[in-house]
Amino acid sequence: MGVLVQLKNFSYAYPEAQTPVLNDVSLEIEAGRCYCLTGPTGSGKTTLALALKGLLEKDDSSGEILCPRQSGRADFRIGLVLQNPETQLLATTVGAEVAFGLENLCIDPAAMPDRVAAALSLADLRKPLDYPVARLSMGQKYRLLVAALLVMKPHLLILDEPAAQLDPEGLAALHQTLSDLKATGVAVVLCEHHPGPLLELIDQFWQLDEDGGLSDGRWQAPGQVPNLRLPEMTSDLSEAPVLLEVRDLAFMGHGEEAVWDGASFDIRRGQCVVVTGLNGTGKTTLLRVLAGFLKPSSGSVRIFNAEPVPQLLRGRLGCLFQNPHKQIFENTVREEIAFPLKRLGWPPDQRAARIEEALSFCGIESLSDDSPHKLSYGQKHLVAMASVLAPAPEMLFLDDPFAGLDCARQEDVMQVLTRWNRERGVTLLWTSHDPGQIPALADGHLHIEGGRIGWR
Amino acid sequence: MLLALTLSCLAFVARTGVFLGALTAVNALVFLLLRPQGVSWWRQGRYFLFQSSIIVALYIIRFGSLAGIWDGLLISWQLFLAFWPSMVFAKTTSQAKIVRAMNRIMPSRMSFVLATCIKFAPHLLEEVQDIYEGQVLRGARILPRDLIKPWNWPDVVRCVIVPAVVQGMALAGNIALAARARDFGLYSKRTCWPGE
Repeated sequence: MGVLVQLKNFSYAYPEAQTPVLNDVSLEIEAGRCYCLTGPTGSGKTTLALALKGLLEKDDSSGEILCPRQSGRADFRIGLVLQNPETQLLATTVGAEVAFGLENLCIDPAAMPDRVAAALSLADLRKPLDYPVARLSMGQKYRLLVAALLVMKPHLLILDEPAAQLDPEGLAALHQTLSDLKATGVAVVLCEHHPGPLLELIDQFWQLDEDGGLSDGRWQAPGQVPNLRLPEMTSDLSEAPVLLEVRDLAFMGHGEEAVWDGASFDIRRGQCVVVTGLNGTGKTTLLRVLAGFLKPSSGSVRIFNAEPVPQLLRGRLGCLFQNPHKQIFENTVREEIAFPLKRLGWPPDQRAARIEEALSFCGIESLSDDSPHKLSYGQKHLVAMASVLAPAPEMLFLDDPFAGLDCARQEDVMQVLTRWNRERGVTLLWTSHDPGQIPALADGHLHIEGGRIGWR
Repeated sequence: MLLALTLSCLAFVARTGVFLGALTAVNALVFLLLRPQGVSWWRQGRYFLFQSSIIVALYIIRFGSLAGIWDGLLISWQLFLAFWPSMVFAKTTSQAKIVRAMNRIMPSRMSFVLATCIKFAPHLLEEVQDIYEGQVLRGARILPRDLIKPWNWPDVVRCVIVPAVVQGMALAGNIALAARARDFGLYSKRTCWPGE
């Protein structure tokens, strides 16, 4: 098989970064082979995918990227699907979405419908061309993106974390599609920790280390134990008062089908419950309904022995976003933590003590006078957490709190949550898109699948 | 698109109650003819009432008497009529048709950017909603009943608008990256999907 793309001693550093994210990377990609790029979060997998596609600024890189396009083959194409389908779907209908690449290649509009239909068939997405993209499931949206690349007839297909977006059925369909593509000589690169059923397609593993170096082999996440045993719920917790009571809860949203329905569960004071489900299954929606920001279609929610009313939950319920940028706005870390305390009417002397305690608890004392906007993503996460914890809420909702964090920061966050839960008795309800990552701290595990929410 | 633009522009020109009444009748007629799906009278009416109450309150403060009520109502009705035709247009016209129409009067790349802005506006609003809800639970005084008091208004800017701008810029970066990943910008011109 011929070599399609070659990287020779390639390094890349993001502007204003102290160290390169990719360091002296050399690799070869051959036609008809499937590669899997592994490595810890933040090690540069997506950056390497962008480099292969030619989307990085040349000024910030060194080394060579060799591909047939440079030697005059204008028809040589590399397709790249990034992680979040929602921000990559640019059109409102299935046909227009798949045709986007053809529009960019100036293909005659008369030739588009046949090519679009063929690509949709190859990606096993059988929908009319005028079908609204908004009505597709997350797995179907991912397959739509794959079709949108296949229509451009790529020689190399790069998929960034496909397993995180797809249900088992979607993964099986993707397996078949990739298998067919390999047989026709298309090379595939998966940036993926858990290839699942795609494992048998993989011919070679690469691993990126935290210094940006690439080597052969598969990276294993420390502490990722496949059969993690959940601790039994203690008798104290089973007798603790119920803080959150959910009965026959259903939420319709704007569609014709319920996002989920028939949800009934209790969460007691001091419990830690994890809600898992693939992206788009309604985990965040569940939190919003429980906090009283969305009205359920039917059923009831009682939180702290009352109907959920946001203004009455201030100070008692905290909410930590997946993305700390949604929360941070003050000029210093100290002011960021002080904000909720001021608004909740804490006296100045108690406020100062509480800020110091929150800083210390989250291990960010040294950052107290820094601007939160200039911190690393992981540090911002800790600042956001300190700010949410400072008013000592009785219950905390965490929306995928480990997403985008490297192992070290995940451990930092985990330590804070464990201490807050076990020492202070704060009740935790957190969501995760990865059913395989249930922390030992969890007393219970709710799973959302096929519109149903149930204990596991 | 031309009709929507004309009706919106006329709303800014209309200065009298009679002119506004006539324009309202034309808008209502267009609405009945096109019957857009997903336009809720209640939802839009709620925004209009909220907007009107703020404008009328500001006019009363400005003129120091109830004489400001009529002028305030006229201005808020003008603003509503300026916004309404665009919403009906967006609800009744597919993105592909909008792009094709705009391609006639502007470069294809610019029409794509404009159409994408329209497409992602709801996504950005969802992000703003997320930010708003999180900040409410942090204690920010930004619930409708809090905003009756003007001294709570700076909280909206600091807690919601600042993070929303940051999120908006990140969203724009992600969309641009996704478009470039599918060879947007490879050639100076683009063709257009013939469907819908």
